[in-house]
Amino acid sequence: MNFPRSKWLLPLALIALSGCASTDSERSAFVPSSSLSGAPNRVPARDKVLWEYRAGLDALRRADFAAARENLDDATLTLGGIFGDKEGRKARSYFSGENKKTFIGEPYERVMAYYYRGILYWMDGEPDNARACFRTAQIQDSDTENKEYSSDYAILDYLDGLATAKLGGDGSDAFKRAQEECKFGKPAVIPPKSNVLVFMEWGESVKKYATGQYHEELRFSPGSSPVRGATVKVQSQNVQVLPYDDLYFQATTRGGRVMDHILANKAVFKSTTDTIGNAALVSGGVLAATQQGRHNSGDEVGLGLLAFGLVSKIVSATTTPTADIRSWENLPQFISFAGLVMSPGENILTVEFNDSYGRPITSLTKTLTINVPSSGDKVVFVSDHSPASQRL
Amino acid sequence: MKPTILIPSAAFVVALAAFSSGCASHGVQNPSGVPVTEMKADERGFVAGTGVESQDLVVVTSKMARDILNVPEIQRAQGMPRIVLDPVMNETRFPINKDIFLTRIRTELNGKASGKVRFLARDRMQTLEKERDLKQSGQVTSSSDPNAVEFKGADFFLTGKLQGMTTRTSKGVSDYILYSFQLIDARTSDIIWEGSAEIKKQGLEDAAYR
Repeated sequence: MNFPRSKWLLPLALIALSGCASTDSERSAFVPSSSLSGAPNRVPARDKVLWEYRAGLDALRRADFAAARENLDDATLTLGGIFGDKEGRKARSYFSGENKKTFIGEPYERVMAYYYRGILYWMDGEPDNARACFRTAQIQDSDTENKEYSSDYAILDYLDGLATAKLGGDGSDAFKRAQEECKFGKPAVIPPKSNVLVFMEWGESVKKYATGQYHEELRFSPGSSPVRGATVKVQSQNVQVLPYDDLYFQATTRGGRVMDHILANKAVFKSTTDTIGNAALVSGGVLAATQQGRHNSGDEVGLGLLAFGLVSKIVSATTTPTADIRSWENLPQFISFAGLVMSPGENILTVEFNDSYGRPITSLTKTLTINVPSSGDKVVFVSDHSPASQRL
Repeated sequence: MKPTILIPSAAFVVALAAFSSGCASHGVQNPSGVPVTEMKADERGFVAGTGVESQDLVVVTSKMARDILNVPEIQRAQGMPRIVLDPVMNETRFPINKDIFLTRIRTELNGKASGKVRFLARDRMQTLEKERDLKQSGQVTSSSDPNAVEFKGADFFLTGKLQGMTTRTSKGVSDYILYSFQLIDARTSDIIWEGSAEIKKQGLEDAAYR
């Protein structure tokens, strides 16, 4: 049978050339794959930790500590045992996106998982296990490119020092590190006898997005919030609180990831195979078309080039260098802490969140009824997203 | 068969193979999962991190129990020494159930040296006191004088500490943990025995997580 090849080869080449590979360089934004109301078993296994992070924090804000504990325990269990994960290998392959890996988050997200679990341990009267969590959190941030920003969460060192002092040890080194790390002023050394520990947070989470020809470059943008500080009011005390740490600063001072190099390589591979495919299709198409079906070697070489070009285009189209932009989007931007000495019994504690002029944003004021025990610490967690009044 | 037909068909097959191999070559390992495997507690399983794990617990507590039995004050004690467990202090970066170490040392000692030492259930004092009160008030029967003080005092305290050092670089994470335990004379505060074990682990996460 004599095919009129010149008639179908050129359209085929044009279709292939018209671009299987996405080349737009617009931002790719994260769309949450599941809501907090969904059951965790309906979430893809690779997103389970992300779901637990969000649900754990949401529960902590609602003072549902059992649910927070359950979610964060399971998430940190995965986080701590991620060595040699097969999903990680999949994410590194040319033909899978980074988001195919089990989500454990970027280091600032991993830090926060341990930080929240530490708060819950302290709530349960286990300051040594709380300190263990704060230390592991600090380790998550230790492998930065620029060592100036390695393990530089002021609040984690501060709480390490406080827990150590409360357990009868010497926390002065950790306090000193915290004072050097804090970008918002020097936090005062809280006496170990402070028995009400108020963990505060405010602002909107860091946003992840992807740029680059194939969305292979992971970037961060800050969340927006008018809140810049807080005031804690209880009994006769009126404590002004500034942030200890800014998660946007932490997310953006780590330097490049190893995965960024892998994604860059994937992007080069995608681009190269696409270019080679284009060249082969054009030359093959031209060659085949100009031979007018004479069944000579030129005709066959043209067809061979077309086939090779097609394969190259398919390989290019299936190469996925996109960066993972799944993100723990209910995190705050700023985290802070205050330690108070209070007499036992029921007390009303008010937390006002302030704008950049130090004025309280009344719609965000939280009123907490707390019962201070006669021994041990009362641990209080307050977010600008917490309910307006809570009994703890 | 003409070569002109062969070339496009072969190319199509190659294209198809390349396409399908791209999706599967780095393929899923254990796609059906791994059946539940029963392991020995002192065995290193296929699920492992650099933290405190069951095999560490077994190795450390077995060693400590053996050492305690060789302490002269225990071997040559007049009567049966009473031991109270004091919670272990965790100074590592790993949150753990601290009681599990002392529980295992206790069960090892009770299992292997029954009669040489006896442990006091101080963690159950609330329940025990409640029962004693019921007996004293005559609400329940008593086989002995309920007003006599029969709760035993401790001869020794067994306690311990977990301390750690961590290094994390681009080459991986390294965790060293020192497990130390002490037997303290309750009367004199002498440390009559101290034993330690150390474990170091290193690992490197998949590049996808770095």
